Amino acid sequence: MSDKNRNMLLRKLLLRNNGKGRLWAAMIALFVGNTLLLLSVLIWWNFNELLYGKTENDSLGSTFLIIGKKVTNSNMGQRGATLFTPADIDSVNKAPQVQSVGAIVSNHFPVYAMMGGDMGFATDLPLESVPDSFLDSKPADWDWQPGSRDLPIIMSSQFLDLYNYVFAPSQGLPQLSESSVKSLALNVKAGPPDMAETYTAHVVGFSDRIGSVMVPQAFIDYGNQKYGKQGSGVAPSQLILKTKDPSDIKFTEFIQRKNYTTNSQNLRWSRVRAIVEVVASATGVLAILLMAIGTLVFVLFIELTIAKAHQSLTLLKEIGYSPGYLSGFMVKRFVPLVLVVVIFSAGATLVVQYLCADMAKAQGLVLHALPGLPVWAALAVSTGILLVLVVRSISGAIRK
Amino acid sequence: MQLSLHQLIPLPLREKVAGRASGVWRGDLVLSEADHVFIKAPSGTGKTTLIHMLYGMRDDYEGMVKWDNLEMKRAGASEIAQLRTKDVSVIFQDMRLFPELTAWENLDIKRRLTNTITEQQVTNWMDELGVADKRQSLARTLSYGEQQRVAIIRALLQPFKWLLMDEPFSHLDHVNIAKAAKLISEVVKQNSAGMILADLDDNNFFPYTQTIVL
Repeated sequence: MSDKNRNMLLRKLLLRNNGKGRLWAAMIALFVGNTLLLLSVLIWWNFNELLYGKTENDSLGSTFLIIGKKVTNSNMGQRGATLFTPADIDSVNKAPQVQSVGAIVSNHFPVYAMMGGDMGFATDLPLESVPDSFLDSKPADWDWQPGSRDLPIIMSSQFLDLYNYVFAPSQGLPQLSESSVKSLALNVKAGPPDMAETYTAHVVGFSDRIGSVMVPQAFIDYGNQKYGKQGSGVAPSQLILKTKDPSDIKFTEFIQRKNYTTNSQNLRWSRVRAIVEVVASATGVLAILLMAIGTLVFVLFIELTIAKAHQSLTLLKEIGYSPGYLSGFMVKRFVPLVLVVVIFSAGATLVVQYLCADMAKAQGLVLHALPGLPVWAALAVSTGILLVLVVRSISGAIRK
Repeated sequence: MQLSLHQLIPLPLREKVAGRASGVWRGDLVLSEADHVFIKAPSGTGKTTLIHMLYGMRDDYEGMVKWDNLEMKRAGASEIAQLRTKDVSVIFQDMRLFPELTAWENLDIKRRLTNTITEQQVTNWMDELGVADKRQSLARTLSYGEQQRVAIIRALLQPFKWLLMDEPFSHLDHVNIAKAAKLISEVVKQNSAGMILADLDDNNFFPYTQTIVL
């Protein structure tokens, strides 16, 4: 094939001065820059997925949090000062990052829990309720209707921890598993002594999200209306918020400005997040810088190659080779090198993501096993830019 | 293909050209393919400059060089490349071979551009001009005479309507000049092409239709 022979001669004329070492250096520089760029996008993307993704990463703290009005010396004497008024709820609803607000309503009527009949112990039992959509998970039998004698309960898992790790060992009592607690029945007496009703309560689930004892909202409403002094219009003392990103500074500022308390575990993320964001953007800047340097090295390598072949190129043009044809020849030589680098970068990114997901699993976090769309988009964009630069530098240098 | 020159003044030679009568500079000239033109050009009158201008290698001049409708100063790189592969061929005074390629490769890289001449034909012509035995020698190791003969053959390895020659035989003895001139005449005839030969002194290498003093 004559084309093959012609290209062989062109290679001899144009690429003969190409140092192997320099070629490798240029490719490695490009590889490092490109890979770092992808990794910085990968870091950003993974963190984003952890915070906002649909995968459930319980240990990261949910996006639910509970707020209350801070009890201070000035308001501690006033009745109802720490209750949320409708106007308060409205302003919380409009706060940055807040997606929905649920009222936590407590019982305004006496409730006693008794265990083991007359032989056992009896205690006041404060109850709370939240709208069902704010529960960690809704147990199957989470349902109560007036007239029903069975009362399902969701207990804070902290209570069980407190019992199992603090109380039981100190008192020489047996520790209890979740399922054994679920099998216990409590007798619950609700209402003032003269009109009390008795229920059989079962623990049907445990919650990490809410730190108290919860019953279905219907029960609290029923009790407050029937026995309570204020009827059903009880103002909530706490609110549960579903937030998109509780670590958002704007949200944190809102909470501080209003002097609300919250389970601060969630807000601690704002600091972590701020740090990660700084790290991610520093990595990003560094990666872009290195990518730019890598690209520059590669482009300079191409231009050096062309400059070295300047005489041959001039003479080739003089005997009739068109600059377009010669550019095409050079592009065919260098573009595959770029693609090889890109493929290796993508491979490295895949491996890193796989290892990250593996390591995250050990920490109880769920990461995707494959890099997501933003990473591939970054790859596509950087490859596009790289190819355009390479082709432009080649045709520019040859036309000169 | 018609070559027309209009009011040409090469900028580096502007002063030199100004005071002299010339058949080319500052005048209008139209040449057709039937013409075999000898341009007699004493040293320093711009002979090589003219050839380079005609071939589109420089544009530091005033006036106009036109091949048919293609004005060289305005032509794009690909139009010039097209012209150089199909219409106008050249024998440079300084040969301009690739020193790092062999004689054969120097010819082959030109031949494969258009593929209009067979390898056998090239071999025959090398034979004819006495450089067949230099086929595998690097061009930089060839004598000037040998290089000039390779450069002559190279100019013939494409279709052309005009052949430009800048002192094409300066390194050849008269036996070799006769052989080379014969070969060139044959190929020019096959192509029904015109020729422009620029040289220092009068000669009768070819039967010229006109002689112009530069």
